[in-house]
Amino acid sequence: MNKNKKQTKHKIPDALQDIEAWELNRRKFLKGALLAGAMTQIGFFMSCTPELKKGNDILSAEQATILDDILLILFPNDGNGPSANDINAFGYIMWVLHDELNRQPEDNEYIIEGLDWMNEQSESFFEKKFVELQPKEKEELVAEIVQLKWGKNWTSMMITLLYEALLLDPIYGGNTNEVGWKWLNHVPGYPRPTEELRYERIMEKQMKIKQT
Amino acid sequence: MKYDICIVGSGAGAGPIIYELSKAGFKVLVLEKGPWLKTSDFTKDEMTATRRDAYVPNLKDERHVVVRKNAQGEWKAKNTADGGGDMWNGSCVGGSSNFMSAYFHRLKPKDFRLKSEYGAIEGANIVDWPITYDELEPYYAKVEKVIGVSGKVVPHKHQEPRSTPDYPHPPLTTNIVADWFVEGGKKEGFNITPAARGIISEPREKRGACYHSNYCGSFGCSSDAKASSRAALINDALETGNCEIRPNSKVFKLETNDQKEITNVWYYDFDDQKVSVSAKRYVIAAQAVETARLMLMSTGPAFPNGLANSNGLVGKNLLFAGGGAGSGYIRYDSLSDVDRKKLDVPLTFVNQTLLDFYEIEDDSFNGKAKGGTIDFLIEHSNPMPKAMRSKYKDGTLLYGSALKENLKDYFTNQKRVRYEVFCDWLPNDDCFVSLDNEVKDKWGDPVGRVKVGSHDRNVKVGNYLAERAEKVLKNVGAIDIRRGISSRPPTNLMAGGCRFGDDPNTSVLDKNCRAHEVKNLYVTDGSFMPTGGSVPYTFTIYANSFRVAEKIIEDLRKK
Repeated sequence: MNKNKKQTKHKIPDALQDIEAWELNRRKFLKGALLAGAMTQIGFFMSCTPELKKGNDILSAEQATILDDILLILFPNDGNGPSANDINAFGYIMWVLHDELNRQPEDNEYIIEGLDWMNEQSESFFEKKFVELQPKEKEELVAEIVQLKWGKNWTSMMITLLYEALLLDPIYGGNTNEVGWKWLNHVPGYPRPTEELRYERIMEKQMKIKQT
Repeated sequence: MKYDICIVGSGAGAGPIIYELSKAGFKVLVLEKGPWLKTSDFTKDEMTATRRDAYVPNLKDERHVVVRKNAQGEWKAKNTADGGGDMWNGSCVGGSSNFMSAYFHRLKPKDFRLKSEYGAIEGANIVDWPITYDELEPYYAKVEKVIGVSGKVVPHKHQEPRSTPDYPHPPLTTNIVADWFVEGGKKEGFNITPAARGIISEPREKRGACYHSNYCGSFGCSSDAKASSRAALINDALETGNCEIRPNSKVFKLETNDQKEITNVWYYDFDDQKVSVSAKRYVIAAQAVETARLMLMSTGPAFPNGLANSNGLVGKNLLFAGGGAGSGYIRYDSLSDVDRKKLDVPLTFVNQTLLDFYEIEDDSFNGKAKGGTIDFLIEHSNPMPKAMRSKYKDGTLLYGSALKENLKDYFTNQKRVRYEVFCDWLPNDDCFVSLDNEVKDKWGDPVGRVKVGSHDRNVKVGNYLAERAEKVLKNVGAIDIRRGISSRPPTNLMAGGCRFGDDPNTSVLDKNCRAHEVKNLYVTDGSFMPTGGSVPYTFTIYANSFRVAEKIIEDLRKK
């Protein structure tokens, strides 16, 4: 651990001071949003998670690796119920990032920004990139960032996403085989959503978007 | 002219008008801004109902500006599109009545004459209603019969007079904790009695009985047991052939002539094209905030300050519900195996209410004062709110194995028991709706700007009631009891803004909810209430709307 760690200015992290990189990130986000409609139809995020983890239309390979590792630290495979992998949290979050109807699209940008900040924090603490850290160092890094204001906020949001992946209907890509409900002895409400009644279809009606 | 009446909105304030006028043979047109979701469209999907809020407008398109007082006592305006809550409760045919919890408490006779009974309170614009409880009572009875209410009348200290001995449907099945609450109350000398619900416990005509999905408030009902305006009234109205519903029709202006009469209504249709339609009479029932906003937007030569607003009172004296809620936990390891099994069944209705303190007699209030209602509940079944509560322990954000342990414990080793208290939200000069000068909706129209000033008395009464509720929680074995009584308005409970009264100088509507200034305009949602009483509003909105429906029919039948 670098004893001379600095406190990052979290409002505009260094990674985002590079406006070109930020714009690129934003364009990727918008491009992804345009593809979302087609992708959700085919259960893309449920079946293609291993490929998505190698990098995809929204996340770079590095960002995808950071996300994957962080999710497992926040929701580990510890013998007590399912892990982040067991609930397909990564695939679920990819669906979230592609959700063009999201009421708070800036939240999606915040998820991605947080991945870059993790990297920046890693360089600050350990003088190496996140992907170069040893597993124990990654855990130390998370323990450090939750002490920081931005880190606490961002981690809290990631836990909310993990909870959604654990507890919402499997139709959204998480809660594989209802493993989250089974673990917590939860009885779902009926009727459950179908492809025709999933949230995007209802929101399209609400927003007067013509359905194809 | 094709239509006798054009109604803006289709929720609880509109439903009885739609139903009664259609049945009486009048041609009814309903303009509903939201989509027409049918019973088969509703599921128990948290993503749709509560995570992404697909039953209300997307805040990118339609928002409000809310003006609140911060901790330093400064008024700060916030665009709801920037987060922090909104003022929407249900935008679809049937409105927010689709998503209500449907606690159907009647107002008490003293609620109709609050000023006469308890006197003025400094800083509060309290007035008596222009009608009495006795005038509204037949319509409460009518709501119970027509839309179906389940419950059992058990006398208590503040039991209101009834023209019928009991509710038309027996009480809904409740969790064992309901009995424990009654016993817990007895230990304090409290008389806890059954709460009526606008949810039918047995099938009737085309509606099924409640099947205890345990996903009720915030969710649409899949058996039509919940007495939404859509399921209980509009579906019947449609069968008359006299009612036309136009969903996705956002009304933005009511146009008036020099005689101060409405000539036509303008709305944006599905394709956002401007459409005009005329009728003999007009009703606005778009829920308090949007009703006031629409009236303020409807300017014209006769009404430069907004429709029926020459006295400047449209939007003023907006009401929410005072009080709040609290909760504690019954740990399963504190129970016998038998009791644990009973408590742990998937049955979340409790339906027990403490009304002993609807009127307070206490030195801290200098004698008699208006109190309120305490409802006892257990946590809803939908898992996300439960999980969110397990994120922190002793103020620390958990993650990793500690988070998973806490989550597992929350779901499997305890039951969260709750209380909600309702007291009057005192009308005051800092709680009103106006039009925002800068923020527009997606059509370019000014959004509603809602100032939400709360009178200090709301919190004082709320805490008085919460103290009593918490004694009962302790008696049922709850630990770690937390209280959430605050001055923040519960935005799902709104009324006022177009108060009714006999004096055109001090009210917007007459006693029959017709605008003093506009002969062919009625307002039939909760906007008419000058004071709100200490119960949720929907039952009273339904009852009043049935009352006004008779007046509109009389009005239309006049030669």
